[in-house]
Amino acid sequence: MNNLTSQQRKFVYLGAILLLLIPIIWLGMPADGTPNSGGMISRLRQELDLGESDLGDLDPSGAAMNLALLGLRGVAANILWMQADEQKNHKDWGELRVTTDSIIRLQPHYVKVWEYNGWNLAYNVSAEWDAVPDRYFWVKEGGKFLQRGVERNRRSPDLKWHVGRIYGPKIGLSDEARFFRRFFYQDPDPQYDKGPDPEFNNSSEDNYLVAKRWFQEANDAESKARQTIMDRSIFRSYPARSQLDYAAALYKFGFKEEYDREVGDRKLTDEEAKALEIRVREKLKEQTRQAWVLGLDDWTKRYGQELFSVEYLPGIIVQMRLEMAEDELRSLGKTPEGIAQLRRAVDQYQKMNNYRYWRTRALCESEPETAEAHWALFAASEEYRKQSPAARTFAEQSMALFEKTLEKYPELKDEDNFVEEALTAVLVWNLYLRLEGEKPPEMFPLKSLWDEKQAIVPEIERRFERDSRTNY
Amino acid sequence: MNFDPVPFPLLQSFLLWLLVVGSATCIVLVVSLIATIATVGARGPVVFANELGAMVGDLVSLSPRRIFALAQLTFREAVRRKALMVFVVFAILFMFAGWFLSSSNLAPEFQVKVYVSFVLRAISWLILPVVLLLACWGIPEDIRLRSMHTVVTKPARRLELVIGRMLGYSFVGLTVLAVMGVVGWGWINRQLPESAKSQLICRQPIRGELTFLDREGNPTKEGINVGDIWMFHSFIEGATKARAIWTFEGVGPHVLDNEGNLLLENRFQAFRSHKGDMRRSIYFQYTFVNPETNARVPYQLKTVDEGRGRTDRINRTLLNIGESSKTDGKKYDIIDDMVSKDGRLTVEVACVDPGQYLGMARPDLFVRTADLPFYYGYFKAVACIGLMVLLVIFMGVSVSTFVKGPVATFLTFCVVIVSYGARDFMGRIVGDPIALQKAAQYSGLQEMKKLEGGGVLESIYRILWHMNPTTELPAGPSTTIMQFIDTGLVNFLWLVYRILPNFDYFSESLLYVANGFDVRFDSCVLACIMVTLAYFGPCVLLGYFALRVRELEAK
Repeated sequence: MNNLTSQQRKFVYLGAILLLLIPIIWLGMPADGTPNSGGMISRLRQELDLGESDLGDLDPSGAAMNLALLGLRGVAANILWMQADEQKNHKDWGELRVTTDSIIRLQPHYVKVWEYNGWNLAYNVSAEWDAVPDRYFWVKEGGKFLQRGVERNRRSPDLKWHVGRIYGPKIGLSDEARFFRRFFYQDPDPQYDKGPDPEFNNSSEDNYLVAKRWFQEANDAESKARQTIMDRSIFRSYPARSQLDYAAALYKFGFKEEYDREVGDRKLTDEEAKALEIRVREKLKEQTRQAWVLGLDDWTKRYGQELFSVEYLPGIIVQMRLEMAEDELRSLGKTPEGIAQLRRAVDQYQKMNNYRYWRTRALCESEPETAEAHWALFAASEEYRKQSPAARTFAEQSMALFEKTLEKYPELKDEDNFVEEALTAVLVWNLYLRLEGEKPPEMFPLKSLWDEKQAIVPEIERRFERDSRTNY
Repeated sequence: MNFDPVPFPLLQSFLLWLLVVGSATCIVLVVSLIATIATVGARGPVVFANELGAMVGDLVSLSPRRIFALAQLTFREAVRRKALMVFVVFAILFMFAGWFLSSSNLAPEFQVKVYVSFVLRAISWLILPVVLLLACWGIPEDIRLRSMHTVVTKPARRLELVIGRMLGYSFVGLTVLAVMGVVGWGWINRQLPESAKSQLICRQPIRGELTFLDREGNPTKEGINVGDIWMFHSFIEGATKARAIWTFEGVGPHVLDNEGNLLLENRFQAFRSHKGDMRRSIYFQYTFVNPETNARVPYQLKTVDEGRGRTDRINRTLLNIGESSKTDGKKYDIIDDMVSKDGRLTVEVACVDPGQYLGMARPDLFVRTADLPFYYGYFKAVACIGLMVLLVIFMGVSVSTFVKGPVATFLTFCVVIVSYGARDFMGRIVGDPIALQKAAQYSGLQEMKKLEGGGVLESIYRILWHMNPTTELPAGPSTTIMQFIDTGLVNFLWLVYRILPNFDYFSESLLYVANGFDVRFDSCVLACIMVTLAYFGPCVLLGYFALRVRELEAK
C-alpha cells in the first residue's frame, strides 16, 4: 500500500466506498408504499410496525432536536426532568410548561412520560392555582398535552384512557365540577368569546360523552395492544360508566346549566322564568331517563356481554362474561366443579366492578316513576329555597314516587345515593312543615325508611343546607 | 420573583479578595524563592530579587500602543479562524426557535419569561464556548508555531502580550455579543405574541424588609409552612392576628405615579384548608402604618391573583375604612401621614378568610415606581453576559500561558462548569456563611448548618461502617489523624472555593429581565463588574509570570 501513489490510494478508497455502499443500498432501500417493497430493513420495519410514522404523527422539531444532540438525548432528557421537577417545586409554571414540551420532543414514544406529565399538568399544577378559571386552564393543558401524546402514539390504549379520564372524572367529579362543566362549553378565557376552547372541545357534547368516545377508542386500541393501567375487566367498563355518569350529571348539574344556557344574557320576568323552569325540568326529565336507558344498555348488553379470560385462581384460567345466563354458565363450566368455580368468578368480578349496583341503579333510573321522583325532589328543593307552597306538593309527590320505587327494588334500601335522595325528599317536606308551623302526621310515605335511618338524617340536613347556600 | 435580591457586600468582598490574592501571591513568591535557591544555589535570592525587579519594571513600562497592536493582531487572527461562524449557528437557532416555544396559550407574563430566558440563555451558551476556545488556543498556538519567539524578541514585553491577547479576544467576544444582543432584542419584539408585548417592561421596585406576627399577634421569624417542598414562601392564617409586615425605606412623593397613586404590587399565594367560596379568590387586606406615630389606616379588601400577581393603585388620600372599633372616618395622606420623617412606610398584610392562608416571601410585595423601557434592563443583562465573557477570556488566556491548548480548554471549561454547578455545594462543605444562607433561602429555612459527616476520609469511614453523620466517631489516634488530614483537605477546598468565580451574579441578571424587572445595580451589575475586575489583575499577573518562567522554544 505504501508503494502506491496518492492518486492510486484515492482510487482504492473510492473503490472500497463503492463496495461497501452496495450492501447498504441493498439492505436499506426505501419502500415505495406498496407491500413488500423496499430493502430488507424497510420490509422488517413494515412487518414489525417499527417505523416512526407507524407509531404516530411525525414531529420534525423533535427529530431535529435529537439530531442536534448527537446522541446525548439521555443526558439532555435527565437534565430536563430535573429542571421540570425544580420548576414544579418553585411554582414556575410557564417554564415548566416549556420544559415539559422539550422532554416529550426528546421522548415522543415513551408513553409513561406523556402520562406522568399530562397528570402533572391537569391534576397537580391545576390544584396549585386558587382561581377556578386558572385551574380549568391547566386541566385543559393536561388534556391537550395527552391528546398530542395520542397523536404521536396512536396505538397506545393507555394514553387514550388518560385523555378520557381528563374529560370525564377530572371535569365532572372534582370539587370544581359545576364550574368546570360550564367552562367546557363556555370557556372563561375572553379570547373564546363565551364559546368553548375549540382545541379542547370542538363539539357541543357533554364532557362525559366526549370521555365516553375516548374510552371507547381506548377499548378499540386495547383489542390490538395491551393496556398497562388496571385489570382488563375494569378498563373496558369505562365507556359504559361514562354514559351512566353522564346521566347522573344531567340530574345533578343539568338544570342550572340548561336554564342558564337558555336565558343567556336576557332578563326574564317572573312568569317567563317560571315557565322556563318548568320547560327545562320537563325536557331534562326525559333526557335524563333516556340517558339512563342508554346507560343500562351499554352496561348490560355491551360491557356485560364482553368475554373476559381471567385467572380466577393461580393457574386456573376461566372464560366469563359479567352478564351470564344460567345455561351459558353450564355450557362454559362443563363440570359441576367448573360451573361452581365459574359462578364464583363471575360473582367476584361483579363485586370488583360494582356491576350489580350499576345495573340495578340504571334499571331503576330508567323507570319513568324514578325520573319523576328525582325531578319532583329537585323542584321541591328549588321551591323550598323560595319558600313557595309548591315545595310541599313536590316533596309529597317525590316521597310517594320514591316509596313506589323502593317497593319495586327493595335492594335500593342499602344503596347510599338512593337512600340519601329519598330521605332528602322527606327532609324538605319536614322543613317546609316546620316553616308553616305544622306537625308531620303519624303516617307518611317512606316513614319506615325515615325511622330506620335516623342516624344519618343530621348529616343529610347539613349537606342540604350547605348545598342551598352554595347554589351557584 | 423566586429569589431574594440582596445588595452586593462590596467592602466585605474587597477585603476577602485582598486576603485571597495576598495569600496566593505570598505562596507563589515563597515557592519561587525556594525554587530559585534550589536551582542556582546561594545566588538564588539575588536572582530572585533581580527577576522581581524586572517584573516590576515591566509593569511600570507598559506601552498602550504595543498592547493595542497586539490586540488588533489577535482580533484579525480570531476572524481568520472563523470565530464569527458562531453567527451561523445563532441564526439557525433563532430561525427554528419558534418550534420549541409554542405555548401561546400561556399567560402573557409567562410568555415573556420564556422568550427572554431563551434569548439570553442562547446568547450565553453560544458565545461562551467560542471565546473559551479562542482564548485557550491563541498563546499555545503562538508558542507551537514559534511566532511567540519572534514577538518577544521585539520590544513587546510578555506582560503586554498577555494584556494584548486579553484585549483582542475581549473585543471579538464583545462584538459578537453586541450583534447577538441586538438581534435577540429584535427577535423578542418580533416573535412575542401581541398579547404579551405589554409585559415587556422593566419594573423598578422598592423592596422592604419582611417580618411576621403569629396567630396570637406575637412577633415571629416566619409564617406557617403549608406543606410546600420549597419553603421560600411563608403563610399567614386568615381571620387571626397573623400578619406579614413590610417596612419600606426611601418612600416619598417621588414614588407616586403621574396620577398621585402609590403602586403596590404583590405576588401573594393562596392556600385553602377548605373549599370556601369558590367563585372568588381569597381576600386579603393592607393596613398602612406610620412607623413613627403608629397611625393605622386599613385599606379595602382585595383578592389574591395567584400566579400572576396584582398591582394595586392606592390613592394618595386614604379613607380610614375602620378596623373594628377604631373607625374614625378621617382622611389620611399616604405620604404626609403614613410615611415617617426618614421615609419609612410600614404595610401590614392580613388574610381575611377564616381557615384560609396567604403565602408570601420578602420580594412578593414592593412599591412599584415608574417602569423603564424593556431594552434598558435587557441590555443591562446583555452587559452582564459581556462581563462573564470577559471573565472567561481572562481565565482562558491566563491558563493558556502555562499549559497547552487542549489542556487549557479543558481546565477553563471545568472551572466554568464547577463554578456554575458545584460552587454552592463546596460552600456548604467549607461552611461559607453566604453559601449556607443561600441554601437556607432555597430550602426556606431560617438557617442552614454546615454539611455534616466530616471531610473525605471521615465520610469514607462512615460509609464503610454504616455510621450516620450524627454518630460520634470512636475516640483514638486514628480518628485524630483522619480529622487532621480532613481539615487540611477542607482548607484546600476553601481556597479552591474562593478562587472559583461566582457565576450566580451573571445568571441573576437574566432572572431580573425575564421576570419583568430592571437589573439592579447594587445587587447584580455591581457584583458582575467587581467579580470580573477581581479576576483581571490576578489573571494578567499569573499569565505574565508563567510566560516569564516558561521556555518559549519548547513546543
